[in-house]
Amino acid sequence: MKKLIALMLSGILIASLAACGSGAAAPTAAPSQDSPAAAAPEEKIVITVLDSGSAQENDFETETLPRLISAKYPNVTVEASKLPDDQYYTALKTKIASGEAPDMFRVAPKGAGSNSVITLAEAGYLAPINELGIVELAGASGTDAFRVGSNVYTVSSGVSILGTYVNMDMLKSLSLSIPTTWAEFLDVCQKLKDGGIQPIVMGDKDMYVMQFGMYQLAASKVYPKNPAYDDQLRTGETHFTDTGSWDTVLEMYDTLYKNGYIDSSSLGISQQQSQQMFVDKQAAMTFDGSWSAPTLRGADFELGYYPLPGNEGSEILCASMAPGSNWAIYSGSKHIDACKNLLQYWFDGESDLWKAYVDADKAVVTYGYGSDRVDVLFQPFMELYNNDRAYYWCNQGWPAGVENEMLAKFSELIGGQNTTVPEITKAMQRKFEEMVAG
Amino acid sequence: MRKAYSSLESLRGLCGLRICLAGSRPFKREVNSVKSRAKRLGLNSLTFPRRMYLFAAPALALFLVFWVFPLIQMFFYSFTNFNGINFNYDFVGLKNFVNIFKDGTLGNSIRNTLVYTIVMVGASNLLGLAIALALNSNIRLKTLFRTCCYIPALFSAIVVGFIWSYVYMPRSGLLVSLITLVGGDASKLNILGNHKVALYGIALVEVWKGFGSTMIIYLAGLQTLDENLLEAARIDGCNEWQLMRLVKLPLISATITINVILSAIGGLKAFDYAFIMTSGGPGKATNTLMFNVYRIAFNEQLMGKASALSVISFFCIIIVTVLMLYVMNKREVEL
Repeated sequence: MKKLIALMLSGILIASLAACGSGAAAPTAAPSQDSPAAAAPEEKIVITVLDSGSAQENDFETETLPRLISAKYPNVTVEASKLPDDQYYTALKTKIASGEAPDMFRVAPKGAGSNSVITLAEAGYLAPINELGIVELAGASGTDAFRVGSNVYTVSSGVSILGTYVNMDMLKSLSLSIPTTWAEFLDVCQKLKDGGIQPIVMGDKDMYVMQFGMYQLAASKVYPKNPAYDDQLRTGETHFTDTGSWDTVLEMYDTLYKNGYIDSSSLGISQQQSQQMFVDKQAAMTFDGSWSAPTLRGADFELGYYPLPGNEGSEILCASMAPGSNWAIYSGSKHIDACKNLLQYWFDGESDLWKAYVDADKAVVTYGYGSDRVDVLFQPFMELYNNDRAYYWCNQGWPAGVENEMLAKFSELIGGQNTTVPEITKAMQRKFEEMVAG
Repeated sequence: MRKAYSSLESLRGLCGLRICLAGSRPFKREVNSVKSRAKRLGLNSLTFPRRMYLFAAPALALFLVFWVFPLIQMFFYSFTNFNGINFNYDFVGLKNFVNIFKDGTLGNSIRNTLVYTIVMVGASNLLGLAIALALNSNIRLKTLFRTCCYIPALFSAIVVGFIWSYVYMPRSGLLVSLITLVGGDASKLNILGNHKVALYGIALVEVWKGFGSTMIIYLAGLQTLDENLLEAARIDGCNEWQLMRLVKLPLISATITINVILSAIGGLKAFDYAFIMTSGGPGKATNTLMFNVYRIAFNEQLMGKASALSVISFFCIIIVTVLMLYVMNKREVEL
């Protein structure tokens, strides 16, 4: 009896260890046939979804989406949850590694971040959606960033913009207008400063916000000359250390700190605090994304939004606009077909769900309902986008880690740690090579 | 102390007796007789029969599965290029360890972690002890003060970090406002944005949150002191300073050891405030060992390299803790 119990305990222990040790082999289960349409009416299914961000009042993903899906498919219940960005990445990775990933989760385009479509698709965790009508509807611009090999894993229904929010009342008080070249921009900053107004406020304590300005400059400075710059980094044809590429961008951005155009205390201010300072009229401008528009609209002044011009001389002004992240389907889900139907319904450009999505200001959409009434705030960007004068966010073309190295080093530069621009580009190149080599 | 000493002496005496008995023939015969009886009954020991191990099995299983096994996995992954997602990884030998040395991650992390630990151990213990001494005397409302001191320990690190980021906020934070209120110039004060002081800034937040716990342990130690002993010292002519330095502190040396070791372990594992308040910045000024492990594993997706840094951290923490324990215990005996 004792031996039997001991044997059983040993068995349980070995089984537990084996379960942990096996990791989560990339699931390749065939899709099940229980789509909402195909499922028997009484068959209830639950689709779990995980999103990044914080749930707000009347939150679209956690409240509107489950309600509208249940209205369309009474047998389907959507259980959506949101986690702050950092926790989202950690939770997603842990769930995937343990084979307990949600049916759908948010993936980032190309190689951006821990949840990039390239990383997850290459590991076999995503189910392709090639056959869905929305792939054709979104077109190449909406699917290229989510294509890995010959498969498409989700679509981008719209774009996210990096731009410069401006207090138009402050600009008008000094008879200034929106700048369209780098020289004009510096002139505006100087005149604001001379007029006793802090030109720009940034929350650089959250280092990622530095990207918001840098990528705008790179859109005019790096990519128009060589749209394949990032692809060529992998082949060795280009390097971050090349003269006239990232060194120029970093020097230009550093100028804003050297001249005191960006609040000198920015390294001690969080993004949330800087947004509040902008709303409180403590500065005339801030670099931020289109997703912050609902927050900044609360200010009691006329709000403007324009692309930071990095162009000089004969160079053209381009914008930094990226296909937004979107939800993909876990390849190990038991409800793959149901999830596909959900995506098709959501992003078909005309469903109630799509309309609610557009009306909730979740994205600047490029097709279907809502695409003809672009917010006046985003119109300058859409004109550039429609004229092929917009480039994706730089970090989407880099392996994760490169932008962190760039931001940490740049933070040292503006913090007075004697770091130089060549040292930053060298560190970026070294990190890039380390990440690519694996 | 005296009780502990007498117990130790008794134990030594018993051991000595046992050693003497062990050599004698009657004792050996008795032992053999007990052993054969236990064997007949299917037991290896009368005091701890073999079946008792079954009761330890569940805890042992949990320990193995959730502690030992992940630890072994960590050592294993430190020699691979595993990215945390794709299980088709390769063995890369010592490459991860070499990269950690080469890119300066290790030197920077160890330096920051040690500074953080020293600040935390020093400030937390001095403050905790000082307040414990004050609150151990007969002052009015001492229970209220004790409670107030312990309250910060009840908040989560997230809440504390968030609140203190507003305390430290340049231009309009609480600290700046207070200095301005008393007529000082705090326009240049930017604690979290200054690479020279940011680490001290976040270490002090941890001290603020943790000194209540340290104080409670000191208070418990002080309350075990024999009042007769203190009175004897006073009669012998000790003033308050001598009483504290020559009598009280030696008598609570075990408490000091516990507090110092606990603070040191907390400091060596520093992560929360570097993550919440500074994201490791400005630059890499507040990158601690644990923060770097997190950053490399989850931001850079280099689980292999993060494991390598974890392995190094593991040994660093063990070495520092064991050394401290050895020195403190030796000092304790001397006192």
